This record gives sequence, structure tokens and C-alpha cells, in this order.
Amino acid sequence: MTTTATKDVSAKAGRGSTRTRGLIHWAKGQYPLYILIALLIVAALSTDSFFTARNLTNLILQASVIGIVVLAQFLIVLTGGIDISVGSVVGLAGVMSAMIIGGASVPLAIIVAIAVGVLIGLLNGYFVAFRGLEPFIVTLGMLSLARGLVYTFTEGVPVQPQAENFRAIATATILGFPLIGIIWLVLALAVWFMARRTVFGRRIFAIGSSPEAAYASGVPVKQTLLAVYIIAGAMVGFAGFLLASRVGVGTPTAGTLYELDSIAAVVIGGASLRGGKGSVLGAVFGTLIFGIITNLLVLLNVSTFLQDAFRGGLILVAVVMTTVHFRSGKKKTVLSIP
Amino acid sequence: MTTSVPAPASPAVAFSVAGVSKDFPGVRALEDVSLAGYRGEVLAICGANGAGKSTLARLISGQSAPSTGRIKISGYDKEVTSPADADDAGILFMHQEPVIVDEFTVEENLWLKQLSSAGKNRSWRVIPKRRREESLEALRTVGMHEVTLGQLGKTLTPGLRQMLALGRTQVTPHRILILDETTASTTEEHFKDVEALVERERAAGTCVIFVSHRMPEVFAMADRIAILRNGRLIEVLKAKETNREEVVTLMVGEAVRALEAVPTPSFAGIDPVLEVSGLCSGSARDINFTVHPGEIVGIYGLVGSGRSSIARSISGHQNRDSGTVKLYGQEVSPKSPGAALKNGIAYLAEDRRREGFVKDFSNGDNMTLATLGQYSKFGVLNPQQERRRVDELIERYKVKGDGKTLTRSLSGGNQQKVCLAKWIEAKPNLVVLDEPTKGIDIGSRLNIYQIVHELADEQKGVVVVSSEAEELLMICHRILVIRDGELVDEFQSTESNTDDLMRAALGGEL
Repeated sequence: MTTTATKDVSAKAGRGSTRTRGLIHWAKGQYPLYILIALLIVAALSTDSFFTARNLTNLILQASVIGIVVLAQFLIVLTGGIDISVGSVVGLAGVMSAMIIGGASVPLAIIVAIAVGVLIGLLNGYFVAFRGLEPFIVTLGMLSLARGLVYTFTEGVPVQPQAENFRAIATATILGFPLIGIIWLVLALAVWFMARRTVFGRRIFAIGSSPEAAYASGVPVKQTLLAVYIIAGAMVGFAGFLLASRVGVGTPTAGTLYELDSIAAVVIGGASLRGGKGSVLGAVFGTLIFGIITNLLVLLNVSTFLQDAFRGGLILVAVVMTTVHFRSGKKKTVLSIP
Repeated sequence: MTTSVPAPASPAVAFSVAGVSKDFPGVRALEDVSLAGYRGEVLAICGANGAGKSTLARLISGQSAPSTGRIKISGYDKEVTSPADADDAGILFMHQEPVIVDEFTVEENLWLKQLSSAGKNRSWRVIPKRRREESLEALRTVGMHEVTLGQLGKTLTPGLRQMLALGRTQVTPHRILILDETTASTTEEHFKDVEALVERERAAGTCVIFVSHRMPEVFAMADRIAILRNGRLIEVLKAKETNREEVVTLMVGEAVRALEAVPTPSFAGIDPVLEVSGLCSGSARDINFTVHPGEIVGIYGLVGSGRSSIARSISGHQNRDSGTVKLYGQEVSPKSPGAALKNGIAYLAEDRRREGFVKDFSNGDNMTLATLGQYSKFGVLNPQQERRRVDELIERYKVKGDGKTLTRSLSGGNQQKVCLAKWIEAKPNLVVLDEPTKGIDIGSRLNIYQIVHELADEQKGVVVVSSEAEELLMICHRILVIRDGELVDEFQSTESNTDDLMRAALGGEL
């Protein structure tokens, strides 16, 4: 056949530069890392109190809970969905874990928190996967529902758990490093493994990118989606317990606006809200970027009102950067068929 | 570098391309191409997969910019850098997939180009009454007699969508008309209308650029034929002074042996792989046929005849209303493609971009998607094992690029090889191929035919659905003809020709 001749030519033309091109391509995609580095430099120059053990520990404590929620959000965004109920689920799971049998048993509290998350994930997943509803609308409903339940159960008053060691997990350190941070990193590693090294993960990417092609290739689309929502729910529920544990009480308002922060972190980390694209490392960087900004603004005594504006501005900048990144490989035309 | 042959009749240059190269990441799609087109001529641009013919067409129409070199459109001083510029310069581009807005009416779609110049045309949605006549006239000239102006774009069949897009030539002023593989999704029924349209365009002094690899069409329409190979312009020939053999040879780089119709082995006494009886699904009614191991059965019919319904209902993509499908004597009724795959039925979808491969996946990820179980233990993938197999498959099916190349960046033929590799890896007993060579050039077609024959040699049952009679006669043992949802005739490929098939499909009138 003809291909032997043509193959040689193209191979010669391409080989020398593919490796460097690949490196450049990789480096181009790592802008969350660059933002992070830039932020650390800014932090080092602007205040002495940033790089202190106390502040860094504090930073990790703050970033870990939202970091776990970001991991859950990341998985759902990978499927092409979105979950705006995560904040309410954090609140509900936290309150429930502090309430059950008066919050006397920590293991039971963890189980209850995870069970709450799984249940809500199951409902979200069922509606999205088997009823074909828009994830945004389903989770919008769940956002109100869960938060409403929190207020009903607590009547707006924080719940004090009985167990004396309720705060133990959140305050424990291993070799000076907060345990809660280690839990976050272990979960990040687990999510990375699941996404990149398992059949299940490959299917998530396929569904997020081309649901029809995935279905035609024998991927159990509905079951996979349901499983993703359940896994994400379990992580969010667990994050709810960790937050309650860190604060020491089940706060009715806990987790408010986590949905926005987690979506922003996922997008800053380079995931596409259309699904099928993104990396766990990016999601972790996204969380850190968000955490450092907040931390820095507090250290610099910026007013709380202005802090929100700063964070909003950061989201916009990051989103603009993602479009620059993704568009470089695409054609510019609007009407042409991809 | 070959210099262009000047057009004989009208030497007025319509566009000129000078020393143009185009680089994509990792690939040089075009290299130092110089070419001119003249008014009142049809210039065919031919080439194999990835030869750069569509790239060239896109450059001329301003959809992407050349890396080096210049493109000049006569009568337009500026450079064409966007579709809006192209409209101003009088370039009308017909995409391979017609640009039809589903929620717009036929009439609104017809005047879609005027949307971008709404200022000049006032409110484009309120189409003046006198335009109704123009619209109807335009539709008639492209053979759309039974379509009403008010019906929505989404109600049209793929063939009619393409014809509607072509109808814009009648209502949009233009000096250059580019047909980018436009006929790839038109069927033989509409081809005469396309031919007549091109003839009118030529008479009106338009420069028609016809990007194609289908030789009958090229020779039916073109005045000159520009041949690209691996991004270089190899030759520009006058259509009258050359022949198919020469053009194909130049495209492919060496002489191609056309495959001859395969003699049918005897299947007497052998149990069939597939037995379909009384199948009703979609527009298909009461279909009965069998496929033996090692047999290639073609299903021929016009668009909308129900041929795809048969393929899709066998393979779990579409529900059956009634009837039974038996695989090796076992009745199967897969409810999903996944279930069909477990039963040993693989289906190569007609719509490659939507159902064939995952958009953001590399070749490797796409090829293993249906068979991930082979590379995993307890759901955990073994990347080394997977990569090794992918490399073998790339080598085996001669896919351009490597395992990490994005499938969507490849040409249609290479994409199809990736899809085929995926299905063959699943080791199915029955392979159903729906329009396996749609939009694929001649060199890769032969590759795909070869793969189909190898499947048959491995004693698998093969069903090929196609709207191209010639193709079916070349690769199948036996061809079933579907008309209005019914199986009307059956032919042995060695004892019949395209005329027989067309006649049966159309119902005698030809």
C-alpha cells in the first residue's frame, strides 16, 4: 500500500520536535501552578507573617475541608455536570453528625455524615442519570432542600456534640503537620488514582467528553454517572463532619457558598465545565490558590467586603485564562462544525 | 513546484494562492502551495486523507490564516481573515456538514448568510413577500420540491439539509463557491441536482472550487484538477486530458489495484452467524435475512429507506417493534450497545464524530474504550500493557500519529481506522458497519475494505450498510436492497452491477 512512503516522511518531519513541543504544551497547561508560585512570591514580599508555621498550619486547616469538597466537585464537573448542593450538604452532614445520639460517638458521627452525603448524592445522581434532568436544576433544588432541613433540625442554633474528642481529628497533627491536611492529600491521591488508573475513571472522562460515543462503546453511562454522584456525595458528607469537628459544633450556616468556591477552584485548576477535561493536581492547586488569597487578604487587613471582590476578580481572571488555554488548539470560527 | 495550467476560456483570475504553507502543532498540513483559480471554471482539489485539501479550502475562505505565503481574492483589497470577510469578498463556503440551524425555518436557513449583514438587509427575520417567490425558486433549483418554507431545519433529512445549504447559492451573491466534500453526504439521488447547480455556476462566471476524492464526481464536473499529496501540490491537470487512473495514481503516490468483486464461497450446510426474521423497527418492516460466518452482506437503499434502522436495531442502538434476531441460533435482544457487545455484536456508527470516537480522547484511549477489561484487574488499569497493545494496533491498522494523538485531529480515514480497531479488539462474532467509508478518500477506503475482508477471513459475519452501490459490489458477497422499509431484492455481487441495485432501490424507475 501507499502508506509506507508517506509515513516515513511525516515521521521524519514530526519526530525531532514532538518531544519539545509536548513539553511546551504541558508547560502551557500548567498555569494554575504559575498563579500559585506568583501568589507565594507576592505573599513573601508583602508580609512577614505569611511564612510562619502558625499561619501555614492555619492555611492548611482552612484549605483542607473545602479541598475535599473541590475534589468531589471536580469529579462531577468531569462528567459534564455541576453540583451546587455541596455547601448545603456540608452543613446538613455536619449538623447531623453532631446531633445523632447527641454527638456522643465520633465513629458514628463520621458514618452519619457520610451516609447523609451518600443519600443526597444518590438522589442527585438518580435524577441526573436516570431521569435525564439538568444537574444544575437538580442540585439547585437540593441546595434549598438540604439547607432548609438544617435550619429545621437546628432551629438556627449551633449543635454542641457531647463527645469530648469530637475535635480530635481536626486538631491532631502528625510530625507537626495537621492530620486533616493529610486526609485531604490522601483523598486527592485516591481521586487521582481513580480518575487516571481505573476503568471507572476512564469512563468518567469518556462520558464527560462524548456521552453518545461512550454509550455506543458499551460504557454503562447511567450507572457510572450515578456512582460518581454517590462518591462525590460521600466525600462532601465527610467534609461536613471535618468542618464540624474543626469548629467543634454543628453550625447551621456551615458550608455556605462552598458551591461557588468549589466550582471556582475546579475551573481555576483548569477543568472544563463542559466536561471531559481537567486534572486532580489542578483542582488541588485551585484550592490552594483560593486558600492563599483569602489568607493573604486577612493578613493584609483588607476589609471583608473587599475580600469578596478580590476573590471574584480572581475567578474572572482564571476563567479568562482557561479560555485562552483551550482555544489555542481550536479554530476561531463560530459557525464551522468542529 | 508545478506551474498552474492557464484556464482556456476565461483567463480572469478569481483567486491566487502564492507560496502558502500551514503548520498545525506537530503537523505541516500544507507546504509551499501556489495555485490560481479562474472565473467560470470548476477547479477540483483532490488528495488522499490528510493531503491538505480541506486545509487549503479553509485558508482560501479565511477560516484560518496561512503560516506563510499570501492569498489574494480578486476584487477584494484586504486580506480575508474571517467568515465575515469571506462574505464581503464573495466567497461562499459549503461545509461537509451543512450549516443548518435546527430551530430556524427552511426559509430562514436559506437566507442565513444575510443574517451577518442584517444592517444592509434590515430585519432579516421579516422576510419580504417577494422573497417567498425567490426562496421557492431557489429550493426548486436544488430539487427540494416537497419542502415547505415554514418547516423547521431539524425536520430535514441529512441529504435535504445539504441541498438546502446549496440552495444558498441562489440567493447569496458570490464570486467563488467552495464545495468542501459537499457531496460526501449527498446520495446518488441528489447528485444530479448538484451537478446541474455547478454547471449553472460555471456559466454564470463563478469560480467553483470542488474539494473531493470521489473520482466520478470530479470527472463529471471539473475543468481542472489540482492534486495534493502530503501537503504539497503535485500536479494541476486539465480534466479532459487525464483519466481516473492517472489522478488516483498521483493522489496515492503509486498505482492502486482496484479490488475485484469477491467470488462467493459456498455457505451450504454451514450454520449462520446471524438470523433475522420478521424484524420491524423504525421504518424497516418485516426484514428477513441470514449472514454466515465469513460472509459479507451488503444492505443497499436510499436515504430514509430504513437501512440504518436495520443495522441499529440489530446492534442495540434502537428498539425493535417486533421480530427476532438470532446469533448462532441463540435469540438475542440487546437493549443497549453495551449489551450487544457482550453478545458479540459490534456496530460501527455512521456518525463518526458523535458516536464513533470520544472527542477529547487520544487514539489509544479510543481504541481501548470498548475493551478496557483486557487491560485491567479488578478495575485497575495496567498502563504499560495498554500502551503496548495500542502501539501494536497503530502499527497494525496504519493509523497516522501515535497513541497520544487526539483522534479528532486526524483525517476521516484515520479516525475510521481507530474506530474499526476498537471494535475488532472486542472480538465480535458479527460486525455491522454503517457507511464505513463516508467522507473517506480512496487510499484509506482500500485500507478499510482490506480490514473488512480480513474480518470475513476470520469467519466473522459482516454486514455493510452503504448508499454507494459501487462500494458494496466491490466488497460484499451478497447485497440486499431495501426500499421504503422493505427488503425488495437480493443480488450476488459477482452477477450484478450498480444499475441493478439502483433500479431495485428506486423501484424500477431510472
